[in-house]
Parts: sequence; structure tokens; C-alpha cells
Amino acid sequence: MHFMSDEHIPREGELPLYDLDSLSFRYPDGTYALRDISLKIHRGDRIGLVGRNGSGKTTLVKHLNGLHSCQQGSISYKGEPLTEAMLPGLRLATGVLFQDPDDHLFCNSLFDDVAFGPMNQGLDEDTVISRVLEQLTAVGLEKLCYKPAHLLSYGQKKRAAFAAIMAMHPEVLILDEPTANLDPRQEKIFKELLREYRGTLIVIDHDLLFLYDLCDRAVVMSDGAIHHNYSFDQLVSQRESLREHGLDFTFRFSCCGDQQSVHVHQHYEHTHEHPIGAVHAPSVLPVPPLMELQHYSFRYGDGTLGLSNANLIIRPGDTLALVGENGAGKSTLAACLLGLNRGEGYFFVNGKPVNNALRRGLWRRVGMVFQNSADQLFTPSCREEVAFGPQQMGMKGDELNDRVNDALARVHLQGFEDKVPLNMSGGERKRLAIAAALSMHPELLILDEPTASLDPHGEELLTEILESLGLTTILITHDLFFIERLSTRAIVMHQGTIIRDYSTAEFLTDDHLQSVNGLDYSYKSDCGRRIMALQDHEKGVRILPID
Amino acid sequence: MTAHPEIHIPLTTLASIIGGLAVLFVLFYWSIGGKRAKRDSFRTGDPDWSVPTIDAYADRSSFFHQWDPRIKIVSLFLYCFMVVSLQSLCWSTVAFTISLLAVVACNIPFARAGKRLLAMAGFLSMFLLVVPFTSPLQSSETLIYLPGLPGFPFHTAGFFVALLIVVKACAIALMMEPLLGTAPLAVTLQSLSRLGLPDSIGQMVLLSHRYIFVFVNEITRMYRGMRVRGFVPGTNMATMSAMGNFFGMLFVRSFDRTQRVYDAMLSRGYAGQFPSFVRFATTQKDWAKGALWIMMGLFLLFIDRMYGNPFF
Repeated sequence: MHFMSDEHIPREGELPLYDLDSLSFRYPDGTYALRDISLKIHRGDRIGLVGRNGSGKTTLVKHLNGLHSCQQGSISYKGEPLTEAMLPGLRLATGVLFQDPDDHLFCNSLFDDVAFGPMNQGLDEDTVISRVLEQLTAVGLEKLCYKPAHLLSYGQKKRAAFAAIMAMHPEVLILDEPTANLDPRQEKIFKELLREYRGTLIVIDHDLLFLYDLCDRAVVMSDGAIHHNYSFDQLVSQRESLREHGLDFTFRFSCCGDQQSVHVHQHYEHTHEHPIGAVHAPSVLPVPPLMELQHYSFRYGDGTLGLSNANLIIRPGDTLALVGENGAGKSTLAACLLGLNRGEGYFFVNGKPVNNALRRGLWRRVGMVFQNSADQLFTPSCREEVAFGPQQMGMKGDELNDRVNDALARVHLQGFEDKVPLNMSGGERKRLAIAAALSMHPELLILDEPTASLDPHGEELLTEILESLGLTTILITHDLFFIERLSTRAIVMHQGTIIRDYSTAEFLTDDHLQSVNGLDYSYKSDCGRRIMALQDHEKGVRILPID
Repeated sequence: MTAHPEIHIPLTTLASIIGGLAVLFVLFYWSIGGKRAKRDSFRTGDPDWSVPTIDAYADRSSFFHQWDPRIKIVSLFLYCFMVVSLQSLCWSTVAFTISLLAVVACNIPFARAGKRLLAMAGFLSMFLLVVPFTSPLQSSETLIYLPGLPGFPFHTAGFFVALLIVVKACAIALMMEPLLGTAPLAVTLQSLSRLGLPDSIGQMVLLSHRYIFVFVNEITRMYRGMRVRGFVPGTNMATMSAMGNFFGMLFVRSFDRTQRVYDAMLSRGYAGQFPSFVRFATTQKDWAKGALWIMMGLFLLFIDRMYGNPFF
């Protein structure tokens, strides 16, 4: 343990906003979620609360706004011990944004959702209306204020939930994974709003690159205890300490350095005669591609265009990154390749046009790992979960057992056969979902945001597993590092259309993407360079120039 | 033993009747949206959500929108009870016509009400199909024999009983539009609360209305997760086991979400009540409207009891 007190921060004469003394918390089954937490939080602090999944971060913040009562130890708020009577006032002054925005949007329109907090604060109608409009405008949702939440995209919901918190003008703002699953454009909106926020800020996030410019203090948790409490610069500059707590994200830096553009020009190819041949380069493939879409479009039941005129060739062994803003059509395209969405246009598998029979059997060729792995885990044990797919293929006995054991071993989950998936960590569940797909021996594996909500240690492990698969893969992600590390080709989508299909190296040096669809990665690259410089400085070696 | 008039329907006549009904159903489906809705959505794009839905209809000066929701709920509710009590097909049809006029008067696209009827169509058509073949024999009723079913006559008395139920059900289903569709759900629930409905029930309805969509979304995603691994439901133990796990997991996830939503509500100051700025003001006009509907219901009930069915 490397606990360092925050006493080095000069706070003389200032009463802390929160003073936690030897706080411990146990769940009903006796498991310790927090152990002996002592922490002072002052007005204006900007704290990054980091640690592995399950280290107690969310439990700690639930104490800060009174959702969990104090079992052992004490909590003082503005110098007074926290009592039951103080809770309503505390909650109205402390805004907490939880991970899932659907949990926050419980009213029937955005207006009602955002007005809920200010109305509970007892504000008059005019003030409430002005706050609602002010906050919805700040997050760019003013034109949707009477829209029910279920009609919003994920990114819009996240922003709406943030507006609902900010409308209360909280003294303390606590955010739990605010940018998980958001594209860089939406992340940028959050970053700018948080920069402008002048109160006390506590952010739980695994993305230290996002936190780096927002927070000046880092509290590192491990197994329910605080292991470090110091400046954010100190955190990111000590690589050994980061590694110890599963926070070493510096394996990502390989993507952020100055790379030379590799000009491997690759344009749309076609293997079949087609009237719009003019925009197709001649086919150079010796064998039919694994899958091919030509001028493929898909509309949802309500008429919304999900995919427009998509041309895509997937060759055996390809590792594709599918990138684009939230709602660009990436998941829709994946669902088309799985045969779940039936669109219009040409769709070939191994050179054969996809008819109904072939479409119904696509699940045997294409494996899918969803963004939220909980969506595909429904059985009471890992063994049953992984066996489910092969059982549908008619396997049983030793063959089935071999498949299950092999798949679990490939994702480093040996010994987890009888564990309940629901009780496993996010990273373990993600690996289990991959095992469930691998056990079917797919020709193509599609992974939708595989690293969302994983801690850096989980990300690193997952990266190693995905690298070792040797499968044709499509990676749907916003994460520049994973694009660079795991893909050789990038497909960029925007508003349902494929706008770029080129090598990953070209994608990484494409300056036009920001203006096209807001894929702005420059902020993180810049943070990465600055952190590398800090780490080099810590090691006493050459300091790289900071852009 | 009483002799019953019998009608034997030839196969071609039966086929014509069924075909005619099918055409009517398709026409109805088409008229209330169906394919046309898709084309409309391309033409018009996303609706303007910066305008409250209630205001979107307010400028049409609907009879029902400008009615105090409390009196509207009570009087329409009483009216519906009186419609349910009708015993003759004739006056039930009149009630159905009144409901149709009410839907037109409330200035809400008829497609919405039509879809409501369509949703009930399967259940109601079973009534029309089963009751005529299973109802007890009435004195002097006409029996219709269908081709291929010599031992199962179609009882006309049973058919009219089924028709009566269907017409009343449709009349009341249509009244749900003016009753519930002419004010935001939150306002309707506020009204019910003022009328004595416990707050907790109102809040449960409000939350259910919101989270039913989240729930359906979760079901879709989870079921999709099963389908991509080749799950095809069948009538076997494997399917039962898989669906048992599926619903069990859905329950656990819903339970978790309930706790998280409650936490989110608490953290924004929830103290047992949904705050609201809704103010109700009752005018004489509201009372008059209420009296009109109750009188109309009483009139239907009176005439139904006094004169019964003048045509049958």
C-alpha cells in the first residue's frame, strides 16, 4: 500500500466540505465494500476517483450524497456529522450522475426530467423553466425538450441526464463514467461543460486521458481502501504504481505518437458486375471475399434510414475497425452482416448471394459480442453460457465439453465454469461473452465497443486475447488505441453511410475526419504526450517536446 | 321439441364472406397507417419536439382538451360504465357511433384509435368465432350450418351476444382517446390523485409508462443475443429452459434497475412525491360538459331498458 495523505495540499483554516473518518461499509452478505476510508474533500477540489472495477468507488460516492448510510466510522459535511435530517439538503446540493442515463430519465419528457431536481429544491415556476431551458441548451438538446427519453439516442440520453443534474446548480458534482460509450464529439461536449463547472468535482472514470486535464487530484482505490491520494500529475507520472492498481494505460501511447502515414491506397472493390461500376476499382481478389455488401441499404420499421448505399468487402483474415459518431450506423451494419436486419441491395457470403436460407444460417458463421455483455448472458453458469451456441448447432457430449473448455481457456476463464455470470466483474463478463461467441467457431467475429467500462487492466488483457484470436474481426469502437492496435483497415461511417474505407495507418493520419464527423482524437493524443513527458521526467530521461 | 329454422351455407358463399371480411380488415389496416405511416415519416421527418404534445392539439380547440381533467375523467368513466350496462345491440351500436364522433371531436389522428382497435381485434375475433358455436340453444333461434361442419351449427343468438360484447368493447376502447389522450399522462395522473387515487399508484403508472420502453428494449437486446447464437424457439424442454433463464435474468435486471432508478430519484431530492406545477381550475363549462356526458349515458341506459332492441 502506498497511501499518501492529502495533508501536503495547503488547506489551513479551511473547513473541508466532506470529512470521512475511518469509514467502512459492508454489504448484507458480509463483503467489505469500503475499508477504513479517511478522506477530506474541500470546496473547489477536482478529484479523479480511480481504481479497478469493484474497488469501491461507486459505493464511496453513494456515501457522499447519503444514498448509503454510515455503518462504521463517520462522515462530516460542512463540519457537521452527517445525520438523517441533513440528507435531503445534502442530496439537493450534491449532483450525482450514474452510469446508465436511463436510470436518471424517469419522467415522460426531457423537460419534466430536467425540471424534477429544481422543483424538489422548491424553486418557483419561472426559475425552473429558465434553468431547464438553460441546461438543455448547454447540452444541445433544447429542440428536444418535450421528447420522451425512450426516443433519444444513447449520447442524447447521457447529455440529458447531465442537464438534469446541472439544472440543480449542485455545489458538488459527482460523475460515474460520464463518457462511457460516447463518441469523441459527445465526449468533447462533456469535457467543455466540466471545464466551465466551478464547484467541487469528483469524477469516476477509467479513462485517465479524459481525466488528466479536468482533475488536479487523484484518489486511487483498491479493494475498498484508498491507496493513493495525491495530485493527478503524481498519479500519471508513476507508471509502476499505475500498473499495481490496474491503471496503467500507457500501453495505449503507441497510438498517440507521431506516425508517418503509410500510403496503402485501397478503394472499394467489387467482384460482381454492377451498373455503378464507375466508382469501383477492378477486383484484385483471387478468391471471393468472406462477405460483401454492394449498395446495401436498410430502413427501420418507422422509416428511419439506418444504412445507406453501403459497399464493403470483408476478406478472410481482415481485421476491420468500424468507426463513426454515435448513431452513424455501425451497429446497424453489424446487424445486417448477422442477418438480423434485412436490407435492400446485394449481399454475398463467400461469393454466393444471400437468400433466406443462407441468412437464417448466418449465425453459424458470424459471432457477435454486444456492447453491453449483460445483454447476451442469461444462464446461471459460465459453462451453460458458453455451451448455449454449440448446443443450438446440435453438439453434445465430449465435443460440446471440448468446445466449452477451449473457448474458456482462450479468454483466460479456466476455472470459472460454475460461476454465475451476473456476479462476475465487467471485464470477466466481457471475456465470457467472447468465449460464448468463440465456442461456435465463427468465421467472422464482430465486437461492439469491447472495451467500454473496462478498467485499464481489463482492457490490456482483452487486447492480448483479441490479438491472439487470429480471426476475421470487425471492431466497432471509438477507441483510437484499439483501432491502431487491433485493426489493419478502418471503415468510417457517418449518418448511415460508409464515407472512408482505407488502411488504419491512413485513418490515423486523416485530418479531415474531425470536420466530417467529429472524430476528434487530438485532445487525447495531446494528453498522452504530456503524460509521457511526465513519466519520462520521473524516470530522469529525455523529456519529449509538448505540442 | 321446438323446431329451429336452419340455413345451409354453400362453400362459395362462405368463402365470399370470409374473403369480404379479410378485405375489410386489410382496408381498415391500410387506412389507419400501416404502410402509409412509413412513407409519411420520410416526407415529414422528425416531429418538432420543442413543442409540448398537449400544445400541438390545443390550437384545434378540442372539446376534450379544454375540459378540466378531473371532471372529464369522472364523467367519461361513468359514461363508460353505463355503456357496459347496455343490453341491446342497437343501443350499443349507437354508443359505438358516439364514441367514433368523440374520437373525431378530440382532434387526435384516428389512426391512433384505430390501432387500439386493431390490437384488440385478435381477442375480439375469437369471441365472434367461438361463442356462436358454443352458446346454448335458444328457443326459435336460427341455426346456420357451414360446409364440412354438420354437427356444429352456428347459433345466431350466440353470434349476437358476441357481437354485443364486441361493439361495447370497441365503444369503450374508442373512448380511451378522449379520456386519456387529450392531456399529458402526468396531468391525467395528477387529476386522478386529486380524485383520491393514492400517490404511490399514480407514480407507479408514470414510472411504468416510462420504463416499459426501456424494458421492451432490454427484452429485444437480450433476445437478439440469443438469436445470434442460433436460438429458435420450439415446443421442447430446451426452449422452456432457455426461456426460463431469459425471464429470470430479465427479472433480476429489472430489480437492479428499480434500485438504481430509486437512487437516482433520491439523489435529486425525491421525498415521496413527484413535484408538479399543474393547477386545476373548474368552470361552469366543465360542469356542463360533465353533465352532458352523464345525461347521454343515462339516456342510452334508459332507452335500452325501456325499448330494448327495436330491430331484432
